Amino acid sequence: MVDYAVLLQQVINGVSLGAMYALLAIGFTLVYGIMELINFAHFNVFMIGSFVGMWALELLGLSGQSQILTGLALVGALAFAFIAAMLTSGVLGVAVERIALRPLRGVGGTTGMITTIGVSYILFNVILLGAGADAKNYPNPMPVVRWEVGGAVIDLREVLIWGISFVLMLGLQLFVSRTRLGKAMRATAQDSEAARMMGVDVDRVIVTAFFLGSALAGAAALIFGLYYNYTSFLIGYTAGLRAFTAAVLGGIGSITGAMLGGIIIGLIETLGGQLIAVRWTDVIIFSILVLVLVFAPSGLLGRAAPTKS
Amino acid sequence: MPTRRTLLVQLPAAAIAGSFASRTVFAAEKSITIGITVPLTGSDAEGAILIRNGAMMAVDDANAEGGVAGYTINVITLDNGTTTAGQYDPAQAATNARKLVADQSVVANVGPEMSGSGKAMAAIMSRGNLATITPSSTNPDITDPKFASQFAPAGKAIYFRTVTTDAYQGPNMANYMAQVLKVKKVYILDDSGAYGVGMANAFEEQAKKNGMTVLGHDELDPREADYATILTKIKALKPDALYYGGVSLAGIKVAKQSYDIMPDIIKAGGDGVYGAPMLKGSGFPAMEGWYATIAAPYIAENPDVKPWIERYTKKYGQGPGAYSFTAYDGTLVILDAIKRVAATGKPVTRDAVRDAIQTTHLKTLQGEVSFDENGDINSRTVSVFRCYHNPQYPVEDSLHQYKYLGVAPQTA
Repeated sequence: MVDYAVLLQQVINGVSLGAMYALLAIGFTLVYGIMELINFAHFNVFMIGSFVGMWALELLGLSGQSQILTGLALVGALAFAFIAAMLTSGVLGVAVERIALRPLRGVGGTTGMITTIGVSYILFNVILLGAGADAKNYPNPMPVVRWEVGGAVIDLREVLIWGISFVLMLGLQLFVSRTRLGKAMRATAQDSEAARMMGVDVDRVIVTAFFLGSALAGAAALIFGLYYNYTSFLIGYTAGLRAFTAAVLGGIGSITGAMLGGIIIGLIETLGGQLIAVRWTDVIIFSILVLVLVFAPSGLLGRAAPTKS
Repeated sequence: MPTRRTLLVQLPAAAIAGSFASRTVFAAEKSITIGITVPLTGSDAEGAILIRNGAMMAVDDANAEGGVAGYTINVITLDNGTTTAGQYDPAQAATNARKLVADQSVVANVGPEMSGSGKAMAAIMSRGNLATITPSSTNPDITDPKFASQFAPAGKAIYFRTVTTDAYQGPNMANYMAQVLKVKKVYILDDSGAYGVGMANAFEEQAKKNGMTVLGHDELDPREADYATILTKIKALKPDALYYGGVSLAGIKVAKQSYDIMPDIIKAGGDGVYGAPMLKGSGFPAMEGWYATIAAPYIAENPDVKPWIERYTKKYGQGPGAYSFTAYDGTLVILDAIKRVAATGKPVTRDAVRDAIQTTHLKTLQGEVSFDENGDINSRTVSVFRCYHNPQYPVEDSLHQYKYLGVAPQTA
């Protein structure tokens, strides 16, 4: 017997998770598309973003889940926290690029990737030492509003998560497809040498990619905190690895692919947990990573073959 | 004026002479060391500090009175937690056990806090014949003679406890659920750790014996953030109660997310959901109504213990936890053993201290402590609590945020 209300509830849970993974996956994909670099520091830029969002909310005098705001005050508080988390994460991402990666430009192979692993550990330990190891009770000023839909429950939080994720992804898509800088990004992704010869400032494109990817990770991080009412120095790793899988599944380098991959991974996690067993979901997700890498490295929406020389 | 050469010769000689002099003249400068091994890094840190403070109270009291039988008590504190684990780390605990065994001045140890660490340490401590007294690790396997080849390969009991084990903690809570809370259907979760799995299994076995329906039993990955999937699945099965075996790293997320998904069912856990890390990380309203147990008698409201609590609170600026008492008791047991060995005139070695601990009959905060031949405490009391928010006290103050309900029924 299949209980459709429960399945619907798991789909709702999965889309919320997926929206978060998608925002995080975009950061991997943007940077990979332009530099062919997997940026492992992204995991912990995300983690730091959640702390910055928490501090921003605490700065407004909020703590725990019992201080509820409504109307304009709620919108204002959330906007402030989102701006703080996104700006700080964005700047942090740019700093990582400027300090640790730019000096290595032109050095081939895996040097850049390994450097980002090192940076990731530094960020991880900075938060561990600075903020402590205990799990943090994340302030959440959102009122508990619930709607019953076909036996499943949708929370106001979830609607907000979907809405904010959608707006951010739409904004990114418009930026990349409509603006001059977006065009430069696409050109660099296609062939950075040719783009440089055509007068594209490749360094500026790279900085933009890092900023946008990291800022979206900051948004995902605040969403994470508000969704789970929790953060800790540990959160980057599991969320980051799944988002990375989402980016690979969608076709690394493809922005729409990352969004699609995120939602699919979110749904696999919840529906797999419901229909098979929760302890198997990691096995399923990471088997997908391996299978995609081996049999379809371009993913769902990725380019058929790399155009780089 | 001495030349450099004479100085080189004379200085060590003077130092040696000096040390001999001090040994003979000032007997009180004799010292021995006891270890304290608890996870001070990671999500268990707050509970670990309460244990360390309890143990240090006993040591500081003894040293303030001129030491024990002429010995000043030194303490070596080792951290069983690591940043990679984010909580207690059995591999680190094993390393620490080797350090303790290698240090000949160490005659006994207080710790570990966690059963997972205990499983990693026990065999090493056994081979070194170094006794350890745990104030909180409750997994029964470690002291079970069935597993002696694994945890006590040298034969003698070295793993003593001032708390009882999950062989009583889990089942007694299952009795409480069946007899007092009238639970019919329960779902069980654990955090995949040695302690959590043991608790949950012991609970499950007794729950079935009590005629409860166990709807399912799942293991959680404690580093995972999202438990909404499993909790949604559980909600659909409509249980009366959820039982969680495990510590705070996963526990906090279980408390928060189960509050969102099924706020109204009975939720209970063991001593892993009792204490400051759970309270601070989950906060209220998520913790409201949770049942928890500790594997020791509850003595904080005992008038004899009040002055001790006041002294503790004054010294550390924060109230004690349930396992501060058992840590203090465990340390008293070690100090008493040292005293009894010294009184016989024999040298205070770790072998002699172990033998003396085995024959302990000591009045402590929780009453008289004595051990069976496996190292388990003879008292089998499991205390039940329920969390009610008391806004007059800090949220992490476990003495005021949990209300004592009584002793859980023993299995007849």
